[in-house]
Amino acid sequence: MRQARKTDPFFVVAWVVLVLFSVWTVFPFFWGIVTSFKSPGEQYTTAFLPFAQFRPSTYAWQVVLGQAEGERTRQGLRNSVLISSLSSLLVLFLGSFAGYALTRFRFHGWKNKDIASWILSNRMFPPIAVAIPFFLVMRTLKLLDTLPAIVMAHTVYNLPLATWLMMDFFRELPEEVEEAALIDGCSPFQAFFRVAFPLSLPGIVAVYILCFIFSWNEFLFVVTLSYRKTMTMPVIIAGTLTVRGLDFWKVSALSLLAIAPPVVLAALTSRFLIRGLTLGAIKE
Amino acid sequence: MRKDAVKFGFLSPGLLYLMAMAVFPLVWSLTLSFYRWKAATAAPRTFVGFGNFLSIFFRDPRFWNSLRFTVLYVAIVVSIELSLGLLLAYILSERIRFRNFFRVLFLLPMAAPPIAVAFMWRMLLNPDAGIVVKILNALGFNMVRWLTDARFAPFVLMAVDIWEWTPFMFLGLLAAMQSLPVALYDAAQVDGASRGQAFWFITFPLLLPIMVTLILLRAIDAFKLFELVFGITGGGPGTSTESLSYYIYTVGFQYFDLGYACALSWVFLLIVLIMANFLLQRLRRGI
Repeated sequence: MRQARKTDPFFVVAWVVLVLFSVWTVFPFFWGIVTSFKSPGEQYTTAFLPFAQFRPSTYAWQVVLGQAEGERTRQGLRNSVLISSLSSLLVLFLGSFAGYALTRFRFHGWKNKDIASWILSNRMFPPIAVAIPFFLVMRTLKLLDTLPAIVMAHTVYNLPLATWLMMDFFRELPEEVEEAALIDGCSPFQAFFRVAFPLSLPGIVAVYILCFIFSWNEFLFVVTLSYRKTMTMPVIIAGTLTVRGLDFWKVSALSLLAIAPPVVLAALTSRFLIRGLTLGAIKE
Repeated sequence: MRKDAVKFGFLSPGLLYLMAMAVFPLVWSLTLSFYRWKAATAAPRTFVGFGNFLSIFFRDPRFWNSLRFTVLYVAIVVSIELSLGLLLAYILSERIRFRNFFRVLFLLPMAAPPIAVAFMWRMLLNPDAGIVVKILNALGFNMVRWLTDARFAPFVLMAVDIWEWTPFMFLGLLAAMQSLPVALYDAAQVDGASRGQAFWFITFPLLLPIMVTLILLRAIDAFKLFELVFGITGGGPGTSTESLSYYIYTVGFQYFDLGYACALSWVFLLIVLIMANFLLQRLRRGI
């Protein structure tokens, strides 16, 4: 069987296409890594083989993480981690509550499906349409350039998706377990915290990671709501663009720092990611 | 009615949060869209009725330009991403070794921050020193000024989008293909159907509903195009790559013409909501 498959022209074509597409996908990352280990003098050359063609240098990393500029980068990383983890936590609580309400209870007048669709429709808004009034709200509240402003913005950005996905998870959970808990004298809130929440923990972790990635990658809200103290990694990358042009080594090193966490998280949750990105339309 | 208290206790925190943080800002933005309010000048806020909207539709070629660019962009990238994704998914749905490895590999572009993607490509496409430009020059395209020529810059942006988002279509379609019933293919094989026939008469029709959903998801997302424009072209040369989001951003946060920017936002919002409505109708069938 395996012998036959090797000569099958379909598989030859398949592998050629796959290899070409992999090269196309990986090349920008590869080039970024190579460039981040070049000295400024060599940054514009086409050399790509370390040691053979150019002498690897840790100059870029020393500048980006070192004394003077390093403080800025470290602050950016700190802000990114703080904002993403806090807003995702908030999203998780609000989203799992709402998702639970919409799967376990029946609402009248405004039906469950309508509420759920309305919540999800908030996801479809173009962020720029919300960013302008958001900027004005935060200016009025004197919250510009503070962490709460960005955490709140990212929470509203991720909440619809999280609610929608949590509904999916709670629906898959058999109701009988909670009913048993209720009969045993648990209050509905205890039934939620002691039974439903722990039982759907894998899904909850996956939703948390997905929200973390979205928040980490988000650019528009941060660039409009912060200007100095609360910049996250994406905005710091955008700040490398100066009138003198682009320093390849610096952009590469900073981009890799910003790319690594979400990419690692996505690889760890790869099976869930596509379900999240398609709003639950595709389940793997 | 204790039960009511419980169910609203669960639902209301999230709902109230959305009301305060999404509905209220948008309503405020709607009121502002009836005012002329140039925050950069000392001129007071004045009520202009539908003046802003009339300007948008009848006296703002830049709006129409950005709308045309965005629609063209969405149409082209979504169709290419769908075709490429379908091809790749079809290939990988066969029993290929290292399938999981490829699955993770192709996740990388869409997990990376879009602005980092934009700046990496800006580096690769740098007219003097970008490696991709150098490679293209070596292949004989040295007369083409990729990012500084208004005829080419839009297509360069589309190429980056295709790099970033083809994996989305691919992985979505792959997952969908693997959930198709194997029995159908076995039956087709017994009846002597070729691989191509099996694809056109079984896979394609069964995938059609999910394809429509994926197209809508991707189209709505692509319509909001911002980071790639911000990071790679800045809307230029001229206004040839100015997307709707980027135009509104410029009006709002660079000219500080807030009333007009809010009016533009609402026009944009309504266009997106029309598309979103189709998608929501499909998604709510699943619940």
